[in-house]
Amino acid sequence: MMPNLDLSAISPMIFVAVGAILLPLLEVLLARMIERRRSWLGRTVNREMASTAIVIFTVLLLVLALLRTVGTFDLPVAHFNLDHPMIAVDQLTRFLNAVLLISAILTVLVSSRYLADIGMDHGEFYALLLASLLGMMLLGAATDLIMLFLALELMSIPIYALAGFQRSSLKSNESALKYFIIGSFASALLLYGCALLYGATGTVELAEIARGFDPENPLTLLGAALVLVGFAFKIASVPFHQWAPDVYEGAPTTVTGFMATAVKVAAFGALIRVVAVGLQPGAEIMYGVFWWLAVLSMTVGNVMAIIQQNTKRMLAYSSVAHGGYMLVGICVGTQSGYAGLLFYLLVYTFMTIGAFTVLAILTRDGREVSRIDDLAGLHETHPFAAIVMTLCMFSLAGIPPLAGFWGKWYLLTGAVERATAIGDTSLIVLAVVLVMNSAISLAYYLRLPVVMYMREARGADRPDATAGALQTTVLWVCALAIVLIGVVPGDFLILFGDYDLIASARVAASAVSP
Amino acid sequence: MTPLAAIPDGLLLSVTVFWPLAVVVGLLVLEFFSSPRLSDRIWRAAAFAASLVGFGLTLEVWARFDPTVGGMQLVQRTSWIEGYGINYYLGIDGISLFLVVLTGFLLPIVLLACWNDVVKRTKQFVFFMLALQTGMLGAFVSLNLFLFYVFWEVMLIPMYFLIGIWGGPRRIYATIKFFIYTMVGSLLMLVGIIVLVYMHRAEFNVLTLDYIGFAGAPGIADTTVRMSGDVWWKTQTWLFAAFALAFAIKVPMFPFHTWLPDAHVEAPTPASAILAGILLKLGTYGFVRFALPLFPAAALEYAPVMITLAVIGIVYGACVAMVQGDVKKLVAYSSVSHLGFVMLGLFAFNLTGIEGSLLQMVNHGISTGALFILVGMIYERRHTREISDFGGIAHVMPVFATFFLITTMSSIGLPALNGFVGEFLILVGVFEHYPWAAVCATSGVILGAVYMLWMVRRVFFGPIVHEANRKLLDLSLREKLVASALVVPMIWIGVYPSTFLRPMDASVRTLLATIEARGGETGSRLALVQALPEEPPVPEALPESGEPAQLDRLDRLDEESGE
Repeated sequence: MMPNLDLSAISPMIFVAVGAILLPLLEVLLARMIERRRSWLGRTVNREMASTAIVIFTVLLLVLALLRTVGTFDLPVAHFNLDHPMIAVDQLTRFLNAVLLISAILTVLVSSRYLADIGMDHGEFYALLLASLLGMMLLGAATDLIMLFLALELMSIPIYALAGFQRSSLKSNESALKYFIIGSFASALLLYGCALLYGATGTVELAEIARGFDPENPLTLLGAALVLVGFAFKIASVPFHQWAPDVYEGAPTTVTGFMATAVKVAAFGALIRVVAVGLQPGAEIMYGVFWWLAVLSMTVGNVMAIIQQNTKRMLAYSSVAHGGYMLVGICVGTQSGYAGLLFYLLVYTFMTIGAFTVLAILTRDGREVSRIDDLAGLHETHPFAAIVMTLCMFSLAGIPPLAGFWGKWYLLTGAVERATAIGDTSLIVLAVVLVMNSAISLAYYLRLPVVMYMREARGADRPDATAGALQTTVLWVCALAIVLIGVVPGDFLILFGDYDLIASARVAASAVSP
Repeated sequence: MTPLAAIPDGLLLSVTVFWPLAVVVGLLVLEFFSSPRLSDRIWRAAAFAASLVGFGLTLEVWARFDPTVGGMQLVQRTSWIEGYGINYYLGIDGISLFLVVLTGFLLPIVLLACWNDVVKRTKQFVFFMLALQTGMLGAFVSLNLFLFYVFWEVMLIPMYFLIGIWGGPRRIYATIKFFIYTMVGSLLMLVGIIVLVYMHRAEFNVLTLDYIGFAGAPGIADTTVRMSGDVWWKTQTWLFAAFALAFAIKVPMFPFHTWLPDAHVEAPTPASAILAGILLKLGTYGFVRFALPLFPAAALEYAPVMITLAVIGIVYGACVAMVQGDVKKLVAYSSVSHLGFVMLGLFAFNLTGIEGSLLQMVNHGISTGALFILVGMIYERRHTREISDFGGIAHVMPVFATFFLITTMSSIGLPALNGFVGEFLILVGVFEHYPWAAVCATSGVILGAVYMLWMVRRVFFGPIVHEANRKLLDLSLREKLVASALVVPMIWIGVYPSTFLRPMDASVRTLLATIEARGGETGSRLALVQALPEEPPVPEALPESGEPAQLDRLDRLDEESGE
C-alpha cells in the first residue's frame, strides 16, 4: 500500500536536505577538477571560485527554502504523512523555519570570508550547517517524541563538529568536546524523560500524551521534568548553562552566532510545542519551574556578563539572560506570551548575528579580537562595523525604538495582560525582574560603545577591519532589520508583500495555544 | 507673514520635533555623497542655522497657541502600530508650551557658545546635539504613553555619547552612571504603563496607549485607579511609586541625585547646559503631566513625603554647593537645590504653586544653562574650574563679570529677575498648606545667596593672585551675543512674568480640576483639594487687555520688596 505522503508540505526541508547531501559531493568534485586540471573547467576554476560557487549554491537553496516557507505561511496545517503525523507543518513551524533560515543564510554569508581568514575554508562546513539546520527545522515541527529526539540529535551532532571546526585551535577542540559531552548528557536525560512519558501514557504523540497526562502520577511528572531539563540544557538556562561560555568562546565566531540564535530558536520552538500541547495538563506545576528558570537565567546571566573581559563570553552570558527573557513568554503561556516569545526569537536573531558578524569581520589571520578592550577605537578603523555593533548592543539592551525593545515590550505586555486578567502577582514580579535585568544588562552592553567610541585605539593593537562584500551585506541587513523592525514593526517587509511580523507571530502562536 | 505660517496646524508640532533630526540626516546624506567631505565648519554652520529655524518653529507654536483653551492644541494623531493602541499622537498645552519654547531657545545659544570649543569629532557632536533636540521636544509634546516612553529613552543615547566622548577625565564612569540610573526608574515606569493599559482595557474594552482620549474616546487618563480594594500593584500607591521613581531620578530629587554632579562635572559645556536646562525638566514635567493627574489620591497622600524630600534637597543641595571648590560642581549642586523648589510647588496642589513651578522650570533652564555656559567660557581660557585658581577676574574681564553677576542674581532670586518670581510663587503656594515646608525652603534661598555670592566674590573680586589670570581676554563678540541673549529673558520674566504665566492659566486650572475630580472618586484626602480658595474665572481676553489677579499679587510683591 502506498503511504499517503505530502512532499510539498516539507519542501523547504527537502531543499535543505538536498543541500546537505549534495554539498560534500560538489566539494569533492570541484576539488578533484582543480587538482587534475584536465578539463577546460578544471583549468579555469581555482580554489576561490570553487568556494564561492559552494556558497552561492548553499545560499540559493536556503533562499528558495525561505521563499517557499514564507509563501506558504498562510496555508492550513499540513502533514508529511497523514497516517503517522510525526511532524506538523503549521504556522508555528513555518514561522520558526523562516527565522532559522534567516539565521542560516546570514551565517553562511559571513562565514565564507571568515573561514578563509582562519584558514579553514572547507565545503563540509556548509554541509554540516545544513544538516544541523534540517534537524532544527524538524525539531520545531515534531509532534511526536521519537521525531523530537531524532531531530534534536540531527541538530546537535553537526553542531558539535562545527564547534570544533577550527581544528588547529585548542580552544575550538575544547569547545567541541565540552559541548559534545554536555549535549549528549542532555540528550540522554531528554530521552529518558521521553521513555518515562511513554511508559506513563502509552503513547509518543504529544496530543495523546496530553490526554493521558496524570499530574498525580510520579512517573509522568518525572518524565516531564527530565524532558524539561533536557531542553533547559539546550537553551542554556540557569542552572544548566555552565557549558555556554566555554563553548561560545572556543567555537569559530560565525558558528557561535549560529549556535546562539538557531539552536535557541529551534529549542524554544520545540519547547513551546511540548509545553503547550503535550504537557498542557501539567501547566500549573510547570509554571513554578519556568518562573524560577526565567528569574535565575535573567539574573545570573546578566550579572555574570558584567564581569567578563572576553567579548564572546560576554555575549554567551548575555544569551543566557535572553533565554531567561524568552522563558517569561513560556511562563505566561497564552497566545500573547508565545507570540511575544516568537517575535523575540526573530529580533534576537538579527541582533546577535549582527554582533557576531562584527567580531567575525575583525578576525585577521586567525587572530581573534577576543578582549572587549581590543575593540578600542573601532569607530575610526571601521565606522560602519562600530555603528552596527552599537545598534546591536542598544537593541539587545532593549532601548527604544530599536527592535530589541519591541521584543521586550511584547513579552511584558503578554505577562501584564495575563496578570491583570487573573490577578496574579507573581507574573508582575516576573515583569519587574525582567525590566530590572534590562537595567543591569546596560552595565555591559554600554561597555562596547564606550570602548569603540570613547577610547582611543592603541597603536599597533588597533582593530584592523576590512569586511568582504558579503559580510558588509550582512551588516546592512542586520542594521536595517534592527532599525526598521523598531520603527515600523507592523509594516516591516512591506516591500515584499504585507507582512505584519507581530500578527504573524500571533498567528504562529495560535497554532498551539489553548 | 513668515514662511513658517504656511505649515498647517496639524503638522506644526511634527515639523518642530523632527526638524533637527531631518537636518542632521540630510547632512549625513550630503556627507555620504559629497566629495571632498564636508568641512566641520559647514556642519557647525548648518546646525546653527537649523537650530535658529527650530527656535522660529517653537515661536510659531507659541504664536498659534490659544491661551484661553485648557485642553490640548495643535493636535496631530495618526495610527502608528495598528491594533495595539500605539498612535503617533502629539499635542501641546500651557504646561508644555514654554518648555518647548525653552528647548528651542537654548539650542542655538548653546551651539553658538561652543562654536570654537568642540574641535574633536565635530560632525558627531553636531549629530548628537540635534538628535537630542528631537528627543527632548518629542517627549514634551507626546500624548501617547508609548510615544512618550520612546522619546524619553531615546534622549539618553545622544547624551550618553555627548558625555562619554567629549567629557572630562571621569567621563565614562559618569555617563554610564547617568544612563543606568535613568533607565532603572523608567523601566519600572514602563511596567506601570503597561499595567495601566490593561486596567484601562478592562474598564473601557479598548486597547489604547493614548494618554488623553482623542475626540471623546477614553484615554489612559480616564482609567479608574483605586487607592485600595484591588491587587496591590493595581492601586494608586504602587503605580504612583513606579512613575514617581522614574521622574524623581530624572529631576533629580534628594536621595536619587547622585548621578547629577558626576554627569554635570564630566559633561562638556554644551551638554551640561542642555542637561541642566532641559533634560532635568522632563522629570518635573513628568510629574505634572502624568504622575499627578493619574494618581491624585496617592500624590495627595504622599505629598508630605515628597515635600519633605524636596525640602531636604533644597537645603542639602545648598549646603553641599557651599563647600565645593569646583565652580561647575557648585552649579550642579545648586541645580539639586533649585529643582527642590520646583517639586515643592508642584506638590502644593494649587494654582499659584504649580504655575510657580512651571515658571521656575523655565527660569532654572535659562539661569543654570547660562551659568554652565559662562563657566565654560572661563574654562576655555584657563582650563581650570577651581575657585582657588581665580580671583580678581573682574579686573581683567569686566564684561564677563557683569554677565556672570546678572546670572548669579537671577539664580539666587533677586527681585526684578526671573528666579525671584518663580520662587516667590512657589513659596506662596506651599505656605497655604505646608507652612513649615515654606519656612524651611526659604532658608534654602538664603543659603543660595550665600554660596553663589561667596563664589562670585572669590572668583571675581579681590586682588589677582595668579599671574595666568592677568592676561585673560574679555568676551569676544560671539560670546557677548550668547550672554546677552540669555540675559534678555531673565529680565523679561523678572519684570513682566504675565507673558508667561497667563498662557498657563487655563491648562493648570484644567489640571487642578482633573486632580480634584479624580482624587474625589477615590475619596482620599479630598479635603485638601476642596479647601482651595475659589480661583477667579479664566480671563476671556488676552493678558494685555485683561486685569489678571495674578499680576496684582505680583505687583504687590514688587512693591513690598522695593521697600
